Amino acid sequence: MLLTRQEEDMASGKYGPGMEKSIKMLIKFGDIFKADKLVEIASAHIMPKEPIELLLEFTEGVESTQVFTTTHPLMSAFDANKWQKQGIDEEFGVKEEALYKQRSAIYKRLGIYETYTCLPMLAGNLPLKGQLISWIGTGNQVLVNSLLGARTNRDGTVVNLCAAITGRAPNLGLFLDENRYGQFLVNISSEINPHELSPIDVAAIGYYVGSRAGNYPVVIDGLPSNFSFDDIKGLVSLSTSGSTCMCHIVGITPEAPDLKTALGGKKPKETMTIGKAEIQEAKAMYQKVGTFKVDMVIIGCPHCTIDDAKKIASLLAGKKVGINQRLWLGMGAQTYTLAKIMGYTDIIERAGGVVANACMATTPDSPLPKGVKVVASNSFKTAHYVTGLQKGKVQVVLGSLDDCINAAISGKMEVKN
Amino acid sequence: MQLKGRILNKGYAEGKAVVLDRAFSFIGDFDTSTGELTIDGHPLFGVTIANCIFVIPTGKGGTIAPFMAYEAKKNSKAPAAILCNEVEPLTAECAMTIDIPLMDAFGDDVTKVIKTGDFVKVNANTGVVEIVNAV
Repeated sequence: MLLTRQEEDMASGKYGPGMEKSIKMLIKFGDIFKADKLVEIASAHIMPKEPIELLLEFTEGVESTQVFTTTHPLMSAFDANKWQKQGIDEEFGVKEEALYKQRSAIYKRLGIYETYTCLPMLAGNLPLKGQLISWIGTGNQVLVNSLLGARTNRDGTVVNLCAAITGRAPNLGLFLDENRYGQFLVNISSEINPHELSPIDVAAIGYYVGSRAGNYPVVIDGLPSNFSFDDIKGLVSLSTSGSTCMCHIVGITPEAPDLKTALGGKKPKETMTIGKAEIQEAKAMYQKVGTFKVDMVIIGCPHCTIDDAKKIASLLAGKKVGINQRLWLGMGAQTYTLAKIMGYTDIIERAGGVVANACMATTPDSPLPKGVKVVASNSFKTAHYVTGLQKGKVQVVLGSLDDCINAAISGKMEVKN
Repeated sequence: MQLKGRILNKGYAEGKAVVLDRAFSFIGDFDTSTGELTIDGHPLFGVTIANCIFVIPTGKGGTIAPFMAYEAKKNSKAPAAILCNEVEPLTAECAMTIDIPLMDAFGDDVTKVIKTGDFVKVNANTGVVEIVNAV
């Protein structure tokens, strides 16, 4: 691999042991996957919850990251500032809070900006079309590649940390034009009126396609080009069920003004049509027909936007979350502040909802409160992870935002065929 | 019996082989505190790969897997080396993070040539893997 003088200096230890370790990792990784060089990246978004010793090793002697770096320090359902209200076990909460503070001090020393949201693009880290970045979080990796046209690979947490520290990443994978063109074409069947697709339908399409597309970049043709960020953010489900994190939405993705451009002028390797049956099949994985007693409602994966907050407040106005139910809402700190100013969070909190900056896909180390057996959510990603990580102890029922909030109030959710 | 392969991360290790027949991830398929495989319904469920020569066809996603591999290493429950048919990015990242020997591209299907229980010497400095005692 061709290295610049500065990169050679980094590798020789001139900038300290952490920098040396980080750049050597990237060089070795790049060599294995045949990168011709390292490239300077425009920003990094790293995974919190590093094992402390690992974080200390890779940052030893490092004064600051070499590129603008953000992290969402609450990338699990545990909110260090709200865990008591969330009803999380005390022994777990005390231990995690201490670790959170220890990591946070290291982030501050390195100049890493903590976003307190899983959507950094809405909170001060907005990558632009064509920029090369290293972002963690498979949902984010889908969103930046597909909606913003910035370029990130599906880096693992350590390569990603090394990229932040050095400000560089190996030139490979989705950084290169030829690897971004769509190879798996998804047509929306004419039996569907695309303007009537709800956010949960779009998420169902992502979940269905993700598990079938393998590593191929996907092209979805037939979604309305006036769909908003909120209409399509559920597409993070694509990388929940599968391993691709590039999805051209014709008419929306900056690189996909039309189908031909999205495919790079080539024929797709595979083509699939999505109709009502496919959407139903994806939903049926988490949505059994019947009436369910709901113990807990989880909304906010990805994090609620200000429009979500507004809708939830209007559904909860003058109502109360049932005394046997819990309502968790994941919302970034910035959105929370704005929602507070607008009066939305007062309504939500008065009704008994808990708004946290934490992750609502609940990673394995985020215990749900005791006694929770049935969770309702509007997110495929939440449904996928809560089902898998709770190993059958918790049942998840999918519903629209309206259905979920009503279930928090009544304790019941009715799912019709 | 000797095999030649491509060196991806250097080093030397020897030990008992555990051979898995499907793509592996350190998150989901593995317990970092015990070193055991946790693939539901798999014949190797509950079998430890700690300090073993771990043989897999390839790896798969789970971007947080390198942290899991690191935790396992700290608990002395990580494999001693990984051999695979075709490396994918996360397996490479995990092996480099905990600095264990990693090799691929043996020509023949390495998950067929090596059997669980074989005693194997991995020299990822010279690129030679030796099956010392076959079961």
